Amino acid sequence: MTKKKAFKQEYLTKYMYLISLVLVMVVFSIFAPGFLSLYSLQNIMFEAAPLLILAGGLSFIIYTGGIDLGAGAMVSCTCVLTGIYIAKMGNIIVLLMILAGVVMGTLNGVITAKLKLPSFIVTLCTQNFWNYVALILCPNGSIIIPMNMRSIVKWTTVKIGVIPSTFLLAILVIFLLYVFQQYTFYGKSIFAVGANANATRLAGVNIDAAQISAFTISGVCSALAGALYAYKLKSAVPTIGTSLTLTAIASVALGGTSMAGGRGSVLRTSIGVLTITAVTSGLDMMGADPLWKNIIIGVILIGAVCLNSDSQGRDLIIK
Amino acid sequence: MGELLFEAKGIGKDYGATTVLHDIDMKISSGEIIGLIGENGAGKSTLMKIISGVEKQSFGTMTLRGKPYSANTILEANHHGIGMVFQEQSLVGNLTVAQNIYLNREKKYSTAGFVSWRKMNVDAKKAIARLGLDLDTSKKVRDLDFATRQMIEIAKVLDVVEETASGKAIILLDEPTTVLSNEEIDKLFENMRNVAARGNAIIFISHRLDEVLKITDRIYVFKDGAETAEMPTKGADINILYEKMVGRSTTGEFYVEHKQTVPTDEVVMSVKDLSVFGSFNHISFDLHKGEVLGLCGVEGSGKESICAVLVGDEAPTSGEIVINGKNQNFANPYQARKKGILGVPKERRSEGMIGILSLEDNILISHLDGLTKRGLLNGKKTRAIADEWIKKAGIKCTSAEERINQLSGGNAQKVIFARALESGCRILILNHPTRGVDVGSKEEIYSLVRDMTAAGNSIILLGDTLDECIGLSSRCIVLRDGLITGSFECQVGNKPSQKNIVEKMM
Repeated sequence: MTKKKAFKQEYLTKYMYLISLVLVMVVFSIFAPGFLSLYSLQNIMFEAAPLLILAGGLSFIIYTGGIDLGAGAMVSCTCVLTGIYIAKMGNIIVLLMILAGVVMGTLNGVITAKLKLPSFIVTLCTQNFWNYVALILCPNGSIIIPMNMRSIVKWTTVKIGVIPSTFLLAILVIFLLYVFQQYTFYGKSIFAVGANANATRLAGVNIDAAQISAFTISGVCSALAGALYAYKLKSAVPTIGTSLTLTAIASVALGGTSMAGGRGSVLRTSIGVLTITAVTSGLDMMGADPLWKNIIIGVILIGAVCLNSDSQGRDLIIK
Repeated sequence: MGELLFEAKGIGKDYGATTVLHDIDMKISSGEIIGLIGENGAGKSTLMKIISGVEKQSFGTMTLRGKPYSANTILEANHHGIGMVFQEQSLVGNLTVAQNIYLNREKKYSTAGFVSWRKMNVDAKKAIARLGLDLDTSKKVRDLDFATRQMIEIAKVLDVVEETASGKAIILLDEPTTVLSNEEIDKLFENMRNVAARGNAIIFISHRLDEVLKITDRIYVFKDGAETAEMPTKGADINILYEKMVGRSTTGEFYVEHKQTVPTDEVVMSVKDLSVFGSFNHISFDLHKGEVLGLCGVEGSGKESICAVLVGDEAPTSGEIVINGKNQNFANPYQARKKGILGVPKERRSEGMIGILSLEDNILISHLDGLTKRGLLNGKKTRAIADEWIKKAGIKCTSAEERINQLSGGNAQKVIFARALESGCRILILNHPTRGVDVGSKEEIYSLVRDMTAAGNSIILLGDTLDECIGLSSRCIVLRDGLITGSFECQVGNKPSQKNIVEKMM
């Protein structure tokens, strides 16, 4: 009998991330009429696109058992760089931002792996550089992309069929990340490092390279997300990333990816991102008090993460 | 024997549709030491868990000192005078010895919420003295070696159960000797006899049949969840036990010696004047193609450290490791693997198994870079390779997707071996390859070792027992205090005796 119960619990835990998304959709379609309308759904997709890329990249650091507290700062930095220089350089700026992402992420990775420091501390410190760049370039707050240059950013508001183009871009990135996660040597090593770094090292895997690659991937994704925010907001916003770090980490957790490392998937993270975006958007549509909104999101998050994280470790002492 | 302490009748255990334990009867009398043997997965641990209150039986009844007995938690069992020493260590590293022994029982020593560590240390000293141990009990457990931790764990359980049922306690020991040296084992056995002489009973689980024959009064043999034999130790010998355990009689060639290969003259690795300050000095030897080179020595003789250097886990202070005519310097195990050296580590759970990953990932982890084509892995191909190893190594599992930490010790070890073989490395360092592995799996692992050398690989072996080291090796090097004191050829039919080697070890 207890076995049956345990089985059900296991099943529930396994698919909780999907159940939470459906639940959120159902609840809001009841309380906010029009929540399931095409316009509303398109809006959710549009809002979710950069966050999908950001959280998708961040997932890899969490697979290694680490965390990146500077992801939001990287977003701010690249958002500002994109917003300011896009007028001069055009869309090629995105490639430059990806390059910047490689540099920022790899720097974090090298410090963490080679000096054997906790990623928590490293990213908490390095984020100050990225924030510095963002604020020094935009000392007086946001800078708007000039009206006559708007044609450059126009492609982001285009819809292909009914799907916003940026959402399609995000899906493409998630697909690439999935392939990286499942079908590359680095992807597999990243999970192994998170599951048991010592055993992985003794199995002759270059764990430093695996750890650094996770940070590089995350850096690239953060930079891409930052560029996308500049396109989306049509401005350079130096504080855009401040709240994004935690939203991204929350999305990963909401997807059921283990914070201890070794387990998870970018597909799960994507569902987490969609859930969080749907909640935010639904509360907006209901006209919830913005001060209350964050509290409600916090409560929902604790509940969802609690249901998602399985009670692993109980059987650790006894084999 | 003394009065009947404990009786189990018709104990069984189901997990859903699978029965893991079936109709077990057991009687334990005061002052007895009982041996419990069986292959991994035979149900020994399940029975121990039921008796010690970790799990509930599905069928059957238990009687303790004439009264019906059942326990829902370990604590409850302790109150009845039944205590278990777990195979996996359960001490808290950052607490002191005394704090560990009296964990959850601090109340005795506290007044108004303040604990008198002094009093606790005095009592703890007495508790470990019962096992002939003398050390500073205010030391942190993490600073002690594994063997001492094991003794403290036993002292702790002994203290708990003797407190409530002195002279009538039952102590369950699940493979307590795996981490102990021969000398320590002798000491443990002496203490076990003392404990039993006070009227307590002990159930002793071990994979080492010679130990069971040495220490116990009576032996229960389990196979596939059922009791296949119950006999007094006096009339038993290794062959009988083996047959009852495995269900077939031993081949008489436990170490698969008929498949032992004669190494060629080709030197694959040459160690010259290698030293690690404080561990070993001026070690030189050649490893030949197809050779199993055994390193013998007591703990602290430097053999472990030599292994660590060869797999790239430790840097040598001086000396050379020459492969293909070039001096190699390994900064980490990755570089060692790239030069064709890979180890099977000693601590399976913490150093070998990547617990929450699948069998497939665990088997392939050392060879993923070699399987990558244009940056990508082929999912079908990797699965096929994993399936092939599962078949070849005889790994019992539901599928290649199963997590490795759901396997029994012997099966998990076969996965680690499959990893080493799949890696393509030509030199394998096996550090206690059969530690905590049952007899049946042992023979399969020995067979794998023979296959490795037959395929032209070379092996450096740190045997789990001296007997194993001699039986498997084609040559043995004996170490004492970091120096080579002897070298023995071990051709089939001309193996040196344990005595010859021990003389050089001490």
